Amino acid sequence: MESFFTRYRNLVVLLVILLAQIIGLAVQVRRTPDGRGALDAGDGSGVRLIRYWAQALVSPPERIIHSSKLGSVGLWQNYVDLRNVRRQNQELQKTIDRLRLEQAALLEDARQGQRLQALVKFQEKYIYKTVAAQAIGSSGSEQSRVFYIDKGSADGIARDDAAITADGIVGKVRDVFPHSSQVLAIDDQSSGAGVILETTRVRGILRGNANGQPQIVDILADNRIKKGENVLTAGGDEIFPRGLPVGVVDRVVNDPERDGFINILITPAAHLDRLDEVLIITSTEPRFNPEQQQDLATSEAEKGAEAAAILKQEQEQQKASQIMAERLPGLIDPMLPPDQQPLLDSSNPAPVAHPPQSLHPDRFTPGAGSTPGNDSEPATPDANAKPATDSAAKQTKQPAPKPAQSTKPPQAGAKPGTPQTKQPQTNKPGGND
Amino acid sequence: MPLLAADLRRDPGIRRYPMLAYALVPLAALVLQAWLTGVLAPFAWFDLPLVVTVYFALDRRSPMQGTIMGAAMGLFQDALSHHAIGVNGIAKTVTGFLAASIGVRIDVENRTIRLVMNFLLSLLSSGLVVFVTRVLLGLDLEWRWFTALFTAIGNSIIALVLFPLLDRLEIRD
Repeated sequence: MESFFTRYRNLVVLLVILLAQIIGLAVQVRRTPDGRGALDAGDGSGVRLIRYWAQALVSPPERIIHSSKLGSVGLWQNYVDLRNVRRQNQELQKTIDRLRLEQAALLEDARQGQRLQALVKFQEKYIYKTVAAQAIGSSGSEQSRVFYIDKGSADGIARDDAAITADGIVGKVRDVFPHSSQVLAIDDQSSGAGVILETTRVRGILRGNANGQPQIVDILADNRIKKGENVLTAGGDEIFPRGLPVGVVDRVVNDPERDGFINILITPAAHLDRLDEVLIITSTEPRFNPEQQQDLATSEAEKGAEAAAILKQEQEQQKASQIMAERLPGLIDPMLPPDQQPLLDSSNPAPVAHPPQSLHPDRFTPGAGSTPGNDSEPATPDANAKPATDSAAKQTKQPAPKPAQSTKPPQAGAKPGTPQTKQPQTNKPGGND
Repeated sequence: MPLLAADLRRDPGIRRYPMLAYALVPLAALVLQAWLTGVLAPFAWFDLPLVVTVYFALDRRSPMQGTIMGAAMGLFQDALSHHAIGVNGIAKTVTGFLAASIGVRIDVENRTIRLVMNFLLSLLSSGLVVFVTRVLLGLDLEWRWFTALFTAIGNSIIALVLFPLLDRLEIRD
C-alpha cells in the first residue's frame, strides 16, 4: 500500500486537492427549486474569512501603487526617459524629467482636484448621507466585475450600500471589511438593480451581459422604446434611491431565449471602466440643512392647522344635516308623542310599513280577529253581523296609524272577532229574534 | 503512469529558485492582475497568475508542486472575486498538474514550445472554468470564445517576456 501511494502520490495529491475544492464548492452553492444552482448571496463565515485574508494580502500593495501613482505606464516612461538621460546631457535631462514629472503630477493633482470638487458639489446637493471612497483595485477577472474601495466598516459602510458617482450609479457594496469593501458593479452578470425608462415608464431589472454592458432584461416587446432614452433607478430594490441616472438606451435586441421579449442595452452614465472616486450612500435618511428643517416644521404646522379646519367643517356639516333631518316631514309623526317618534326609535331603525286599509274587508282581512281554519276562535251568533257604529269599528284598530284611516266608514260583512263586535247592535232580517 | 511519477527521478534539468521568489512572484502576479485589470479594462486579456503557475510547473517539473501552486493561485483569485471559491482553483490545479507533467517530457527552454504550451493551457483553463461553473455548479455564465482566445494569446505573449526575466531568479550551481 505504501508503495502505491509513493508511486502515485502526484495523482493522489491532485485528486485530494480537487476533491477538497469540489466539496468546498458544494458547500457554497445551493440548488434552486427549478434545478439550477445558485450562489448564496451572503458568504459563510469560512468563505468570508478566506476572502478577508486574500483581500488583506492584496490591498496594501494596491494602495501603495494607487497612492504613489506609479502605474505601469509611468514606470515604462521613466525607464525610457532614464535611457535618454544617459545619452544626452545628464543634468539638463534630469531637470527636464523632473519638470515633466512635476507637471504630470500637478496635472494629475489638478484633475483629481476637479473631480473631487465636482464630487463634493454633488455630495452637498445630495440629501442622503454619503461617504467618498477611492477605487483601489479589481477582482482581476473579467467574469467578476467587482472592484475594491479604500473605505470599510470602520467608515460606516455596510453591505448593500449603493455606490454612485456624480454621473450615475456604479454598483452596490457586496462585502465589507474593516478598511476596505468589495463593490459589485452594475455591469456584472449577477448584479441587479430596479430601473425605469424615463419617458415610456417601462420598468425592468438591470444586469450586465457577457460583454460587460448593462442591459435591462425580461421586457415585453415595446416599439416605443428608442435609442437615447434616459434610464433612471426605480427605487424598488431598496438599494438605489429613486431617480438616479443609470444611463441611456443604446439599442434594443430580441431576447434570444424567449419570443416576444426584448433586452435593452444601456450605455452607463458612470464611467465604469475608469472609476477613481465613488460615493457610498451609507444612509437613506434625508440629511436636511437648518433652513430645510425649518421649512419642514412650518409645513407640518400648517398641515395641522389645515386638518383642524377640515375637522371643524365636518362637524358643522354634521350638525346641519341633523337639523335638516329633523325638519323633514316624512320622519315626524304628529300623532305620536315626541319620545315615540320613529326618528328617535333606535330599536327599530326601519319600521314596518302597514298595508293600506281594504275597501271590502272580509274574514281574511288582517285584524279581522280570526284566521281561516282557526276553530278555537269562538263563533259569533250572527256571522253576517255588522258593526253598529264607527266607534265600534274604530275600537278594532289599535292604534290608528294615521288620522285619515280613522275617517273611513265601517265596512260591512266584517267578521266580529272581538268582544266588542260580538254584541250585535242591530238585527238583520232573518236573525235570531 | 511513468508520467505521473516523474519527479521520483532526480532530474538535473530541474531548476531551483529562492524561497522568496516562490512567495513574492505569485503575490506580485496576483496584485498586478487585480490592479491592471482595473486599469486596462476592458482589454485586460491576460491571466498573470496562470502564466506564473505554468512557469513554475514547467521548470520545476514536479506535478505535485504544480498542483499545489495552481490550487493556491486559483483559490486566491477566487477569493478576490465574488464567485464561489474553487472555480479557478480547480481549473488552475489541473493546469498546473498538466504543465508539470508535460514539462518532464519536453524542452522547456524552447521559446516556441513555451508559447504553444501557454496558449493551450490558457484555453484549457478557460474551458475548465466554464465547465465547473456551468456543469458542476449549474450556474448561469455567459461565455465568449474570443475572449478566451485573446486571453490565451495575451498569456503567450506575456510568457515570452516574463519567462526570461524569471529565469534570472534561478539558483545556479
